Amino acid sequence: MENQNVHIPASGYRTAKGFCLTSAFWMMVATFMGLLGATELIAPDITENIGWLVFGRVRPIHINLVLFGFVTPGLMAAAFYYIPRLLRTELYSETLGVGTVVLWNAALVGVVVSLAAGHTQGREYAELIWPLDVGVVVVFAMVFVNFVMTVATRKEPVLYVSVWYALAGVVLTTLTYCLGNIIWRPDTGALAGIPDAIILWFYGHNIFGLLLTPLSAGVAYYVIPRAVKAPLYSHTLSLVGFWALLVVYTHIGTHHLLQVPVPTWLKVISIVDSVAMVIPVMAFLINIWYTAKGRLGEIHADIGAKFVFTGTIMYFFVSIQGSMMALPQVQRVTHFNNWVVGHAHIGVLGFAGMIALGGLYYILPYLTGRPLYSRFLADFQYWMVLIGVSGFTVVLTIVGLIQGNAWLNGETVYRLLPPVHIYYVLRAALGLMIFSSALLGFYNITRSMFFEPGESS
Amino acid sequence: MYLPYFVTYIAAGLIIALAVFFWALRNGQFRDQQRARFLPLEADPEARGAAVRKSRFARLEIAALFFLVAAGLAASAAVVVFALINANRW
Repeated sequence: MENQNVHIPASGYRTAKGFCLTSAFWMMVATFMGLLGATELIAPDITENIGWLVFGRVRPIHINLVLFGFVTPGLMAAAFYYIPRLLRTELYSETLGVGTVVLWNAALVGVVVSLAAGHTQGREYAELIWPLDVGVVVVFAMVFVNFVMTVATRKEPVLYVSVWYALAGVVLTTLTYCLGNIIWRPDTGALAGIPDAIILWFYGHNIFGLLLTPLSAGVAYYVIPRAVKAPLYSHTLSLVGFWALLVVYTHIGTHHLLQVPVPTWLKVISIVDSVAMVIPVMAFLINIWYTAKGRLGEIHADIGAKFVFTGTIMYFFVSIQGSMMALPQVQRVTHFNNWVVGHAHIGVLGFAGMIALGGLYYILPYLTGRPLYSRFLADFQYWMVLIGVSGFTVVLTIVGLIQGNAWLNGETVYRLLPPVHIYYVLRAALGLMIFSSALLGFYNITRSMFFEPGESS
Repeated sequence: MYLPYFVTYIAAGLIIALAVFFWALRNGQFRDQQRARFLPLEADPEARGAAVRKSRFARLEIAALFFLVAAGLAASAAVVVFALINANRW
């Protein structure tokens, strides 16, 4: 049963569809790797003698796949749909877009194979070897060309804030990725000493803050007004938030190094700007929540908007938490333990992951011209992800506080392993829930794309 | 020797940001903010179709999938309960 109201261009949204499938597929692999890693923390010998599945290799695969395999492609899928729509034109080149999707997936296969084989540059979030670094930069450059040329051929003179965010995310990531991965040194991908730590955490924080945050904000600014059928509360406020994000976010990476001998002035800047993040964050949230004010029924009725709106609530929590964690006295307890892992899960899965799934479910009926295959399965996935990420938050925060307090009091690492073991079991159980939700999502999305829904009975 | 790269990056970032900002200013991007609020609503015709009623087979398929997932969740819950009961033994 086709929806007669949907206009599908001759190009058939092939790029957006490709990114939808990419996100849905790699979410399964990425969450499985997370589950495997969590299981290895309970039973370290479970993959004994299987070198390519030891924890040290599984963890970077999990992180890189979540970042570049699941969340970013999900957000890209929405961006490749809404940018032409908001600019009243067609995508500059679907062929270039499809080529980007193919190369993107080839790079992801390379990520899994190289990391599993032990080829790593050994820097957190920047593990990929040089050829893959170049591949990542090339795919982002391809996306940038497609976006910019679409803007150049637009019929709508005003750029809506979502377009600003999507373009900024792609440009900033391309530049930051080159710098953070020290791409001019193919052999090591690193500098020596403290400058390397500074540059790594400049990159490490920005790869989330200048990639996932702007792309997620772009999706939220598009989906929420459409879902509630109301104009954005304030476009001016949205642009204030956008420029504030660019000014503030770029300086905060050094808050990962407060207990390291980096220059004090740099630490002070990172702390001040971490707290100042409240400006772009609240500009965004006030705008989105006031747009939806009094219209939560419409949000509830649309599964895509439901995911996105929940993501904005998670954004509130993760941002407040992030600002507080940058304070040195707080960080003495919360740093270098599972508190940070919990924080990362709220940010990447609860905020950006939720919005990626929301954007994906929102655009699917427009891409295919048919309703979603199963609203029930999408709803079920929503609750599994929500319960999973909330559980992660509680469990990992408790473990983090146990570890942080104990280490602050001089306790050794191994003596803490028995008391936190139970929490690691809970974490793996929650990981199983997230992995199961990824299976459901992949099934629902592929059925929505490739199969006709059942005839009316 | 890393300073030249840092300085180049900072310079590139500043130049791009300022160039884009002044382009936007001259191009009137900050002028008609009231109309900009409505852009997502104008972007596409209303396209949300009513949910399709599924065939009997499709309903059975979803039910089977639901029970599989529910079984998986029950297994997860069983692991948690087992772990809690045996927490003191580890």
